[in-house]
Amino acid sequence: MLVSITKKNQEVTAKLNGRLDTPAAQNVAEQLEPLKEDAAGTIILDCKELSYISSSGLRIFLSLRKAAAEKGGKVIVRSINNEIRSVFQMTGFLNLFQIED
Amino acid sequence: MKPVLDAHCQSIMDEYRNNLPLFKKEEKILVKRLRSLLDKAGVNVASLESRVKTESSLAGKLELKGQKYSSLADITDILGLRIITFYTDDVDKVASAVERLFTVDWKNSVDKRKLLEIDSFGYLSLHYVCSVKSFPYKFEIQMRTVLQHSWANMNHDTGYKSGVEIPKRYRRSMSRLAGMLELVDEEFSKIRSELTDYRRKVQALVASGDLDDAPLDGDTFRSYLGMNPFGNLNRRIASMNQAEIQEVSLMPYLKVFQMLNCSTLGDISRLIKDYSEGAYQIACYQIGLTDLDIVSSSIGPQNLCIACILKRGGGKAGIRYMFDTLNGPSEANEMMAQMLVSQAMEMPFMNQEE
Repeated sequence: MLVSITKKNQEVTAKLNGRLDTPAAQNVAEQLEPLKEDAAGTIILDCKELSYISSSGLRIFLSLRKAAAEKGGKVIVRSINNEIRSVFQMTGFLNLFQIED
Repeated sequence: MKPVLDAHCQSIMDEYRNNLPLFKKEEKILVKRLRSLLDKAGVNVASLESRVKTESSLAGKLELKGQKYSSLADITDILGLRIITFYTDDVDKVASAVERLFTVDWKNSVDKRKLLEIDSFGYLSLHYVCSVKSFPYKFEIQMRTVLQHSWANMNHDTGYKSGVEIPKRYRRSMSRLAGMLELVDEEFSKIRSELTDYRRKVQALVASGDLDDAPLDGDTFRSYLGMNPFGNLNRRIASMNQAEIQEVSLMPYLKVFQMLNCSTLGDISRLIKDYSEGAYQIACYQIGLTDLDIVSSSIGPQNLCIACILKRGGGKAGIRYMFDTLNGPSEANEMMAQMLVSQAMEMPFMNQEE
């Protein structure tokens, strides 16, 4: 699972590449932790190359959303595949994030 | 043109210059104290402004009436604060809070709201001259509503200073405007007071369980959510995977329940009773065979609405409309609606008679 982070003004983008399953979650969580410092702006999670998400992955997304809500920022989940969209829907998290195609 | 000041006025100017840092420091302290006071009093204000009189403004004032003041301490508006409220009755609340925080010099304070004759309209504002033990100079606090503030600014913008005769027809126009704004101020306060009464009444209705008498709107729905009406269904769904339930706001579902022709809280209560089994079956089908061990508290209402739409024949278009309402329009909502319609065909609740 690869994570690359780029910053531009008030916007920080994390590109996620691979499977965000339970074994990968701890490492990804550590890599995304610094994003919480930018939570007052916009955090974009680019999921174009993300093929799978587990409960642990959902928890990482939720903790970023919580940090953003506390600081008045927002989290955009971009380009999720249909399988991941279904995971968001079946767990009831779909309307919690701003999802962009 | 630079104001011409005599020796007495110059000495007041010197005192002002020497103490300017003290005024600036006190300005910050007072603003902080007032903010904290307003927070504690629960008064939401439009703005809290402050300023220390500029050197040129003070010089202009001294040129006009310098002999009136024996020292800088006699000039009470060097440091001024202004609290602008949304509602006229909040001006009184703010005033009462200010009275508790500072010592008010009643002799020099003016309630301009009481000065006007009963048959005339004009500037309404409350001015307090205040002091605190830790600061040797007095300061002024103005309290007024947003509308009073706009009228005062517009009136000031005409370019006429107080004491100068304004042409009669303009004076009449400004007075007419003041009367109208006063009326609007009172109406806003009245509406707020009536809304507060309404909220109290519906909260009582919800608490007493008279759900059919509680019309469905933002206030009643919020009160209803406080009773955790989807709690049982959420717990039943979560227990399937020993999942953790993440609490989220369910207010977005208000529009969906309205779309499903719920006009009272009683209608939602019946919907829960009628479609909980269907909602559970959708969850079983979708997450029962996964290892997902986290769900949001919207899982229950979401699946209830899906079950209701499908059972009532709303089909793919109905589900898509629901997702468009909740998540914003997207082509992906069509895909999810299609998926749910296909999945539901195999579920027992779809084939049972109501």
